[in-house]
Amino acid sequence: MSEHILRIDPAGVPRATILIVPPLFEEANRTRRTLVLAMRALAADGFAAWLPDLPGQNESLVPLAHIDLARWRQALAKVAADVAGPVIIASVRGGALIDHQAKASAWWRLAPVGGASLLRTLMRARVSADREAGVTSSLETLEEQARTAPLLLAGNLLSPAMVGGLGTGEAQAVAPLRSIGLGADGIAGTPLWLRAEPGEDAVMAGAIAADISAWSKTCGIS
Amino acid sequence: MTEANTVDATLRALLADVLGLGEARAAALTDDSGLFGELPEFDSMAVATVLTEMEDRLGILIDDDEIDGEIFETYGNLLAFSLRKVTD
Repeated sequence: MSEHILRIDPAGVPRATILIVPPLFEEANRTRRTLVLAMRALAADGFAAWLPDLPGQNESLVPLAHIDLARWRQALAKVAADVAGPVIIASVRGGALIDHQAKASAWWRLAPVGGASLLRTLMRARVSADREAGVTSSLETLEEQARTAPLLLAGNLLSPAMVGGLGTGEAQAVAPLRSIGLGADGIAGTPLWLRAEPGEDAVMAGAIAADISAWSKTCGIS
Repeated sequence: MTEANTVDATLRALLADVLGLGEARAAALTDDSGLFGELPEFDSMAVATVLTEMEDRLGILIDDDEIDGEIFETYGNLLAFSLRKVTD
């Protein structure tokens, strides 16, 4: 099944297409507005910007419980293959766990994170919610349950393959790659993906777009 | 900066990031400032995010068994817990 892709096209022939791989789960919602603002800035700078829905996320009709990291990697490879012209993959946070199977001219990663860290936070949210509801659970008992049946973590029903994949998931080597964090040596902004209530940051979006554009030039793409 | 000051600054920055407090509100937190149950943004997902970020930024490991409701009652409790963990 093909998934929805939010596309923002420039006037005229694009210099290249920036394929945005969003953060995973709730972090995608918290960053979406800022990423789309970055896409608009990229389009104004002559790039096409694509933000695909991952199967099981956002508007997708596929149940999340049927998905694992391998499915996401394949889905992104298919989207990248549909692009005419050069592709630069720009992934954010957990997006970096699934961006290496797609063919691209260059990669750009913002604040990449290991799968284990994402999984730990999701598990803890469940333990914390259970505690409020008077149910005793622990990371250990949840890990045990997740081996044989889908596990509901912070509203996400995750398959055993997904939980297993996240537990060991690390960003893979790709080249050429620019990996960047936040702060003085990186993108000016705050970690919106951590925010309990979604925010947006137009200045940060502009910095993201400018950095991707500069990286494209450095790589000799356009 | 002493270690206690560093932990305090790290914790305020972290709460500002997760709860979207802004620098002024984060700087104004006192030992008695209520967190969980007091700040509407501080839900169970925020608690989980704070714990994982504490591990990353303070270089500590937090075991499930160490967490009880009291730690998140006030800023002072959370700071005391963090200081205990980094000096362990």
